[in-house]
Amino acid sequence: MRRSTSQAIIAITLILMVTGLMVLSLSGHLAPLQGLILRPFSGIQSWIALRVAATRELLSSPRDVASLREEITQLESEVTLLHQEIISLREQAAEAEILAALLDYARAQPESSYRATNVIGRDVSPFLRSIWINGGSDTGFSRGMPVVTQQGLVGRIVEVFPTIARVQLILDPEASVNVKLQQSRTDGLLSPQLNGELWVDLIDQTVTVTQGELVLTSGLGGKYPTDIPIGQIQNVRRRDYELFQQAVIQPSVDFDDIDIVLIITNFRPLPLEHIAP
Amino acid sequence: MAYLIGVPLLALLSIIQSTVLSHLQLFEGRPDLVLLAVVGWSLAGRTEEAMVWGMIGGLFLDLLSGLPFGSSAIALILVAFLVSLSEGRFWEAHLLMPLSATLVASLTFHILGMGAVLLTGRALDPSLALTRVILPSTFLNLVLALPTAQLAGGLRDRLFPPEVEI
Repeated sequence: MRRSTSQAIIAITLILMVTGLMVLSLSGHLAPLQGLILRPFSGIQSWIALRVAATRELLSSPRDVASLREEITQLESEVTLLHQEIISLREQAAEAEILAALLDYARAQPESSYRATNVIGRDVSPFLRSIWINGGSDTGFSRGMPVVTQQGLVGRIVEVFPTIARVQLILDPEASVNVKLQQSRTDGLLSPQLNGELWVDLIDQTVTVTQGELVLTSGLGGKYPTDIPIGQIQNVRRRDYELFQQAVIQPSVDFDDIDIVLIITNFRPLPLEHIAP
Repeated sequence: MAYLIGVPLLALLSIIQSTVLSHLQLFEGRPDLVLLAVVGWSLAGRTEEAMVWGMIGGLFLDLLSGLPFGSSAIALILVAFLVSLSEGRFWEAHLLMPLSATLVASLTFHILGMGAVLLTGRALDPSLALTRVILPSTFLNLVLALPTAQLAGGLRDRLFPPEVEI
């Protein structure tokens, strides 16, 4: 048999095997196995994510690097040990700072109960905008729980395994959030664009929307609690011949720099798909 | 032996892809480490193993992705198969072979990934995907193609030293 034929047979066999796995996964039979494999994955991911966060912190603050370098020169004999210690302490301080801010936020919203967790990775597909968080069904997380930071809304949990969960960001074009504009007291629909921009659509034409106006969750639809900040109006697109006006918003959360998030654990989204028409 | 090293290596590469490379973006494109490993191993002459690596690495990627489970695995098996077609041809040893194989592999992998996204009914603008994801990712993969091919060749020589007749 020619070599290319045998390679084609191997490729077809492997594809058939994967198709079988795909069917099992779609029917939900693979979930326990996926959870089992993801258990060590989440441990390694969080270990690497912590070090990556520490390194990014170090690289993004050149002033601190300079002082670190000075210190390293002075203490040549302890250079490696000290360097590691500083990185670790700085990461702890940054984490404590974030946690303090999150705690302030949680105290200001006593009706919700929160659980803080680390972001340990992002979706490996560049076509999807979601993040992986440390903790899953073992920690009490479930599908639909909203995810926030002290700055505002991040997204909601869409997939849960025992030790890890996937959060769909509000930047994902599949995510739709009912919002309200704080000053003009009107509703709209957050519609993320494929180029990464966040738009608020379906704003009544008669309403005057001002730049800098705060956009909050409206709670309509039951997917998110009310009054979580999402961003500020950057500019408005209004055409007389259209039914609605749109606004581009600047998200309040810096999605490139999320290390710790809060999960609102006592919020149960309304199962709208079960409501009969 | 190739699987003993390949499975943990592919698991580690997919974790790095999720944790580290998500911060190293060109537009929204990132280098695809698992794809590079599969292409590199295939170019090193271990074509059948590379297809199995493609399946295993793809399944690891699918665990860490919201795409349907198995879609990356199928794409990587096809990529490994495409690269294996160059085996035995007169241009196989050409210096530009890793680059052209990586170019074809990256484009195939991302177009299949885009197809999986569209099949699940998600909104995706193909022209934006091309300019913001596919081309930047392909460029980053091309940058890493030659060192990966060197590393894969080195690993092959260590694991399977060429037999010498005395």
